[in-house]
Amino acid sequence: MKRKSIFSLVVMAAVIGVLLFSASASVMAQDEEVTITVGTWADESFEAAVELFNDKYPNINVELQLAAIEDHHDNLLTRLAAGGEVPDVAYLEDQYISTLAARGGFVDLSQEPYNGDQYKDKLVGYPFAQATTQDGQLVAMPTDVAPGTIFYRHDRLEELGVDIEDIKTFEDWIEVGKKFTESGENRWLIGDVANIYTMMVNGSSTDRFFNENGELVINSPRFLKAFRTAKEVRDMGLDAEISEWTNEWFTVLREGQVLMQPSGAWLGGHLKEWIAPETAGKWRVTSFPEGYDGPWGGSFAGIPKSSDNKEAAWKFIEFMATDRAVQWSNFRIADMFPTIEDLYDHEAFAEEIDFYGGQKARLVWKETILNIPAINTNQHDSFVMDMMGNALGEVLEGNKTPEEALNETETLIERRIRR
Amino acid sequence: MRLKKKHAPYVFISPFFILFFIFGAFPILFSLYLSFFRWDGMSAMRFVGIENYQFVLTDPWFWQSIFNTLSIAIMTTIPQHVFAIGFAFILHRGMVKFKEFFRTAYFLPYITAPVAVAMIFTTLFGSPFGILNATLNGLLSLPLIGNLLELLNISSPIRWLSDPNFIRPSVAALLTWRFTGWNIIIYYAGLQKISNGIYEAASIDGASTRQTFFKITLPLLRPIMFFAMLMSIIGNMQIFDEPIILLGAMGGTNRAGLTTAMYLYQTAFGWTEFGTGSAIAYVLCVFIVIASIIFNKYFRREI
Amino acid sequence: MKKKNYAGQSSGKFMKLFKKILLYTVLLFGVLATLFPFFYMIVLATRGRSEIFSYPPPLWFGDSLAENYNSLMASLPFYKNILNSLIVSTSATVLTLFFCALGGYGFAKYEFKGKNKLFFLMLSTMMIPMLLGVIPWYIMMTEFGWLNSFKPLIIPGAANAFGIFLMTQFMEDIPDELMEAARIDGAGEFEMFYKIVLPLSLPGLGTLAILTFLGSWNNYMQALLVLESEAKYTIPVALSMLRGKVDQNWGAQMVGTAMGIAPIIGVFMLASKQFIAGITEGSIKG
Repeated sequence: MKRKSIFSLVVMAAVIGVLLFSASASVMAQDEEVTITVGTWADESFEAAVELFNDKYPNINVELQLAAIEDHHDNLLTRLAAGGEVPDVAYLEDQYISTLAARGGFVDLSQEPYNGDQYKDKLVGYPFAQATTQDGQLVAMPTDVAPGTIFYRHDRLEELGVDIEDIKTFEDWIEVGKKFTESGENRWLIGDVANIYTMMVNGSSTDRFFNENGELVINSPRFLKAFRTAKEVRDMGLDAEISEWTNEWFTVLREGQVLMQPSGAWLGGHLKEWIAPETAGKWRVTSFPEGYDGPWGGSFAGIPKSSDNKEAAWKFIEFMATDRAVQWSNFRIADMFPTIEDLYDHEAFAEEIDFYGGQKARLVWKETILNIPAINTNQHDSFVMDMMGNALGEVLEGNKTPEEALNETETLIERRIRR
Repeated sequence: MRLKKKHAPYVFISPFFILFFIFGAFPILFSLYLSFFRWDGMSAMRFVGIENYQFVLTDPWFWQSIFNTLSIAIMTTIPQHVFAIGFAFILHRGMVKFKEFFRTAYFLPYITAPVAVAMIFTTLFGSPFGILNATLNGLLSLPLIGNLLELLNISSPIRWLSDPNFIRPSVAALLTWRFTGWNIIIYYAGLQKISNGIYEAASIDGASTRQTFFKITLPLLRPIMFFAMLMSIIGNMQIFDEPIILLGAMGGTNRAGLTTAMYLYQTAFGWTEFGTGSAIAYVLCVFIVIASIIFNKYFRREI
Repeated sequence: MKKKNYAGQSSGKFMKLFKKILLYTVLLFGVLATLFPFFYMIVLATRGRSEIFSYPPPLWFGDSLAENYNSLMASLPFYKNILNSLIVSTSATVLTLFFCALGGYGFAKYEFKGKNKLFFLMLSTMMIPMLLGVIPWYIMMTEFGWLNSFKPLIIPGAANAFGIFLMTQFMEDIPDELMEAARIDGAGEFEMFYKIVLPLSLPGLGTLAILTFLGSWNNYMQALLVLESEAKYTIPVALSMLRGKVDQNWGAQMVGTAMGIAPIIGVFMLASKQFIAGITEGSIKG
């Protein structure tokens, strides 16, 4: 007995010793300073987010690599292809995720030691489908989602004597737009008519461009309707014929020369911060008409396979994707909509927001986000998106009918991807 | 040990060939190799023979990009050289003061980085509110000029960078703005080589400025013109920086500004079809060689 | 020698004056068209964000220059970026001048077997669009361990076909008799290069120096690929960083653009005075 207990004491001491040692080893490992590089295109709330991150992980330095959104993704692709230096954490935008995800090059975050799938129940579901490849790899974690929404000028609608409740269909919007355009010089329904197309396509299906069997679905009533509506708006002179993210676009938004602007909720952050801060109180938000609920943007973060700091990189991603404080900070500063579902029930979600004249805008977005279904994506999405943008241009500026443009584009796409 | 005259030239030109084989030839040959494969940069490469070339040569977008490239090249090369020769002649013959100022002023655009140039021009070309359109508005409200413009069916605002009819001229205008100064310098340097004695003789013979220009300057400038125009043709067939920053990767509405170099870039880096992109590069290269040969023959005969 | 006025000695004083006015008008119009975008750049550099987006667009200077400058300094180590560009461009220029002058000398002043073929081979390398070589090129830089250093921006371009072609053109005018005389005096081949040919090629070298410096200063795509940290960025990469910022601070971008252009204008003025304007008839005729 005694011997045994001595023996067990020794064992216990040994176990404790090992535990202590390993604990101190892991403490030592944690004490070691690590620097990770993070590549992204959006930095509005980055500084505040990194501050929060460093409160928890003071030993992980974060170095930002910022580039314009296209440059960021193109460079990332080149570096992955050439086996060159890639950031430890790479942010990926909604439209690029499927293309990059399908190529490999990113760590499967559903595996040990990451187990990213454990968060599936707590986070909004639909982006997980986008970030998961057909063989079940989770190549990135969603860090923010983007409910598609319409920003509209409440004051202009009042001038016209129109109640938002009466605008229920796309045709209703066009009717109101006509009234507004006729009410004065330099007035339009919308700045960039392509946004009408995007709104109608993003918000109306579980397929983006391909269905779950990988079949191209662009030559369909959904796209035809979107093309026709956009063409109708253009032909009636209801769009300002300008492109989004140009100086003119900022101007028409600021001067109240356009009635509405469909986009992601994140556009609100840009509107109030710098595009049109002086228009505070004049804007309201509403969801897409006819029950269309879709995403407009959203970001993901993944770890390239050649990263040397995968452990620290995962800590960063996990923190950004699942920490309530940082998600809330991003939402407050830049209107990057949180992915953590139970945040939506927080009382702050029902706050009246001054920029939207006291509207409880977050509840509108919450409703949209919860209605978005899991979306089928495909590795050719960003290519098809380019082709469709081009086809829309041919309809708007050229002499092609929507039917012709869609037929021709379908042929062109098939020709390329079925090679 | 002294360098022998027989070996000397080989030693002198060898740095170029050594550096070229390391940093130029390898990437080029690797691209040639790639052009026979399907490769997305990450998955395994798949040998497809000449399929990439077949695809490119039957691709309507490729041919449109060739058309775009050629029309932009023509729209910018001709004004560039006409202006440049004229200005260089005026400056060189000492007809005006402040030569230094003029030359420096004209050269400024060439100095400026394409990123910066494109940022400035985006604001100038703005529609409906940019400065060019504001100017156009002003002109339209003038009595005579306004009527004239209306006769020409020009109305404000012109969407310089989104109306497919204006995209190519707008890009060509930017390129002309950017590269005329460079050609002025080249011609100016060339004019320095023409002996003053010839001009003196001409002036003693009572030749007018115009005669001097057409009978003496132009013929003697021929080697430099050949050189400068060949460089313009080769450069303009590869136009990339300015249109991609101005119009985006797809070249704007109806791909009106999609040059072949942009299409190559989009195919390879945007759609990660590196094999097909390599094939476009090689086809483009053949076109440049053909254009150079045609220019060579035409130029030798005409001037 | 004193320059004579060649503008039609037979025509009268009035015609002369008229022609002068016409000439200056043409030149000034050209200058106006050329310089307006720069003027506008400076106008925008002094304007706040909301002023830039307003209509009608601002045409005269505002008072937000300091604010834009501070915002530029807050977002980038811009002076470090300028210094980086200076280091890269200067080294690239010195190296390029040496190799191209040497190559041009070889082609211009010697007859040797395969000369025409090699010359043509060199010229033909100019016709290859280098764009697609980017991926293999980048793989090489990775293998060499040259990433995030200035070497990829200096060494590969040091011997370029264009530069050699230019130098060949300039050096062909140097009379062979000069070299024959030197050879008889016992000068070595390399000695002739730096004692005779180089000094006589100064105008050509000046031109090439300016061009190389400019090309290096504006090199964008390669710099973007190999430079990874802000502290290593050159000016074009730094500018594109600013442009990439989603909040479009045009004022700060324009301050940066202007600051990025300023050093190179300085270099151009210096070099052009010394090498281009300084060309006298004598140095060419020999």
